[in-house]
Amino acid sequence: MHGVEILLQPGVFPRLFSGLWVTVWIAGISVILSIPVGLLVGWLMTIRNGLVRAVMRVYLDFIRIMPQLALLFIAFYGFARAFDWNLDATGACVLVFVLWGGAELGDLVRGALESIPRSQYESAYVLGLDSWQTFRRIILPQAFRRMLPASVNLATRIVKTTSLAALLGVIEVIKVGQQIIDANRFLYPQATLWIYGVIFFMYFFICWPLSLVARHLEKRWAHD
Amino acid sequence: MTDGQENRLEAGRESAGTLGPTGSARSMEPLRSSGTTDPEGRTGVGQRSVLEVEHLVKQYPGADVPVLNDISFRIPKGKVFVVLGPSGSGKSTLLRTIAGLEPIQGGRILLDGRTVESGDASKGVRAPRGNRVSGTRSTDLRTRIGMVFQSYDLFPNKTVLDNVTMAPVLVQKRSRDEARKEALELLDRVGLADRKDAWPNELSGGQRQRVAICRALILHPEIMLFDEVTAALDPEMVREVLQVILELADQGLTMMIVTHEMAFARGIADHIVLLDRGSLVEESDDPERFFTDPATERARQFLSTFTYERRRGDGVGEQAHQAGQGNV
Repeated sequence: MHGVEILLQPGVFPRLFSGLWVTVWIAGISVILSIPVGLLVGWLMTIRNGLVRAVMRVYLDFIRIMPQLALLFIAFYGFARAFDWNLDATGACVLVFVLWGGAELGDLVRGALESIPRSQYESAYVLGLDSWQTFRRIILPQAFRRMLPASVNLATRIVKTTSLAALLGVIEVIKVGQQIIDANRFLYPQATLWIYGVIFFMYFFICWPLSLVARHLEKRWAHD
Repeated sequence: MTDGQENRLEAGRESAGTLGPTGSARSMEPLRSSGTTDPEGRTGVGQRSVLEVEHLVKQYPGADVPVLNDISFRIPKGKVFVVLGPSGSGKSTLLRTIAGLEPIQGGRILLDGRTVESGDASKGVRAPRGNRVSGTRSTDLRTRIGMVFQSYDLFPNKTVLDNVTMAPVLVQKRSRDEARKEALELLDRVGLADRKDAWPNELSGGQRQRVAICRALILHPEIMLFDEVTAALDPEMVREVLQVILELADQGLTMMIVTHEMAFARGIADHIVLLDRGSLVEESDDPERFFTDPATERARQFLSTFTYERRRGDGVGEQAHQAGQGNV
């Protein structure tokens, strides 16, 4: 097993960590912003107005059908240039991931809201709770619990998909890895395995805590 | 909607005072025994009515016949009104219209002499989307009618105590401490004070139903509606729930009860009615008499479905036939 020395080279780990930070930053901001967008989209998908629901349907289907890479290219090379937005590659990534995460999360919110039995709304109604109180205190907490596993799954997908940012020139962890491998191609021809191996574990240690948190919350909320 | 249906709806709505073309004399007959109503809806009989229902018509959009057709009755203060009837007769729907969960297409519902709901043939044509309730009653009005459902429907994300204190704090703006205090008293009365911090899914069906009763009682409703509250319970748990309701009756709470527990109905009722295919077919102020010597053939038939008896030798076919009809 040679080539492992590459990892001991000065600068390799600090560079990988700086790349990882970019990954975490894009993914973190995208996931955080996706939550309000998803709640809004999910709510809009359940309202009475048929036009609003149709628009949301088109939005969701469009985002789902398009490959994320195509969306990234459209946002960065297409819209940003065409309309002269001051949008850097990182910004374009966040924009696309929020649109994507918001749509997917919205669909999860819709499904969870619709899965709450009618009798819960009726009990709240006869007790005099208004529709906002019913939504906020009865329906939403139960919906959160039901959509949690799928939402965590979505968050890990967003983390993984940030690797596409490299194709817009963002220097995130995969890109950093490639640069290190390329720079040491002659000195350490076997470096590829070791560098990508380290990156593999970096992704794992980002996504794993998410699953732990989800499992913990699920247990804490397991009352229905 | 066909012309015929519309006519039927109209009939139910217009027939206040006079008989509509489809309001058969048969279904109106029991009404007279309960005292006549004048056009204002005030009853001639001395006792004040908590709830009055006049010529109520309920028809689901697209249905050929109304679920409830020209239903009228009144419930005096402190009385227990029991509704019996085969499944599908409209008993639960009747309670749901009174609670405001279903719009009505004819007649009106009065609480304490004030109209809280009037029929409108155009109501309920558009079903609400999703699971929401389409009702438009004020939150204050809703707290004046308590309802307990067959499936308890506690809020699974709240503890027992929070289930009970939620509405008084949020809707009636009572202080948290005061609501807690009363909730604990109520839970104590139904024997569940020690389970105040439990989650609903940790309770048995009978316990959940008793919590659901407390949750409704804490709002001090003028009338309580019980919709087959023991139908989903194991036989041993039925008694603990019915015992609570009996105690409430003794304390003078006005109640309307839909039940399949005949012994319970017989014991608790001040007034008993039989609902069949959307009409009141028999009404009685004497529950004993209703069970032992019903006035109508339909009631006799219905009650016979609860007794079992072998006709050794002959008449087997007849008995089976009657039982079958009762389940329509």
